[in-house]
Amino acid sequence: MEKEKTFESALQELETIVKELESGNVDLDKAINKYTEAMKLAKFCSEKLNDATAQVNKILTEDNELKEFNAE
Amino acid sequence: MDKEYLKISELNNYIKNLLDGDIFLNRVYLKGEISNFKNHTRGHLYFTLKDDTSRISAVMFQSSAVKLTFTPEDGMNVLVSGRISAYPAQGSYQIYIDKMEVDGLGALYIEYEKLKKKLAMMGLFDENHKVPIPKFPEKIGVITASTGAAVRDIMSTIKRRYPICEAILFPCLVQGKDAAPDIVRQIKRADAYGVDTIIVGRGGGSIEDLWAFNEEIVAKAIYECKTPIISAVGHEIDWTIADFVADLRAPTPTGAAEMAVPTVLDINTLLDNYKIRLNRNIKNMVNTKFIKLRSLKQSFILKNPMSMYEIKEQKLDALIENINKDIKSIIVNKENLLNNIKLSYTLKNPMELIKDKKVKFEMLINTLKLVNPLGILEKGYSLVECNGKIIKDSNDTKVNDYINIKLHKGKIKAEVKEIMEDK
Repeated sequence: MEKEKTFESALQELETIVKELESGNVDLDKAINKYTEAMKLAKFCSEKLNDATAQVNKILTEDNELKEFNAE
Repeated sequence: MDKEYLKISELNNYIKNLLDGDIFLNRVYLKGEISNFKNHTRGHLYFTLKDDTSRISAVMFQSSAVKLTFTPEDGMNVLVSGRISAYPAQGSYQIYIDKMEVDGLGALYIEYEKLKKKLAMMGLFDENHKVPIPKFPEKIGVITASTGAAVRDIMSTIKRRYPICEAILFPCLVQGKDAAPDIVRQIKRADAYGVDTIIVGRGGGSIEDLWAFNEEIVAKAIYECKTPIISAVGHEIDWTIADFVADLRAPTPTGAAEMAVPTVLDINTLLDNYKIRLNRNIKNMVNTKFIKLRSLKQSFILKNPMSMYEIKEQKLDALIENINKDIKSIIVNKENLLNNIKLSYTLKNPMELIKDKKVKFEMLINTLKLVNPLGILEKGYSLVECNGKIIKDSNDTKVNDYINIKLHKGKIKAEVKEIMEDK
């Protein structure tokens, strides 16, 4: 799994594999590989989702500076 | 009697105090037509409000004028509110306007309907130009005022639902006549900056407050923006032009944030669901294969391996039989062929092969005989030679020459006695 994978593409890939396996058109060897891959993807998504530090709200100023922004 | 003379300023100030103290004059609503309009460089507006018979001076200071949603001009009918006070230096009274709007919402409404129709004709509302909103954005651009409920609602909703998403505010004016160009500018900026989704909007307000979102330039900027845009202007019931152009319309700013991002909880549930399905599936698959394997193991052939051998034996026999049959038929064929050859006419009459040749040969010999020069001697002619040459003329020889006469059989050596010429 390449490093630059986005959360969305990982989730999409995961969904594709689940549907593929459910279609029953995959032989067992391939299915096991796909299953392993899918579990990795699920783990990747979970980690990205739950372990990632929350983003801080930002404001892009007129000087093109990205600053922290707190809505009052 | 001494008269007390007042200074002019004293009088004017007295009158000013009188006017300022009047509670009715503190809040006056007027309608009239603008004339003598002057826009001072410092942003204050000076003009006269008039109707058919009367007029009053009017001032609108910069702090109030910036909130205008239109550019006032002579001849415009307006509704204003403000207070009446005097300007002592001029000895005049005037209205100090803090709010002004174009007379009649009807006018705005007509403008709105006209623009809506025009933009619809131009295809700005076409459904097939709209792009889907990304389901799992990593960056969201928020275009609204940096203060107020709208920005707070949007930012906090995004953070609460989907904290891994970065929300970036592109602050802009959301009302007043400078708002529309400012919104356009920030839409272009956010589009160029690179975000997954843009939310553009503001909180609720009057139709004038929301007017910037009914401007043609804003509609066009939304249309031309490549990043998917969610509009969130005012409340549920407020439909602005921007809402028609946007890829998705949210009823409120909070609603826009909810449409822009999923919740972590939803995704976790989805992931769990995927995992359950994956496990169930692979288990089913292994089970099916296992059952198949077991039934294969119990198949007749695997249980009775000797039967496999028996079948092969039988097949071998059949093959041998076939081979024997084939060989026999080949031999018979060859034998027949040999017999045919043996019985052939030529082999039985070998002389036939040379008969023709013999006849031909004899013919050739006869022909040769005919042309042989010596053949003529048989008939009684002779050849006469003298000095090794055959002679045909008596003058070719002389008396006393020896000549050889060749006969059919044998030779005669003779001496010439006399030469006789033909007469």
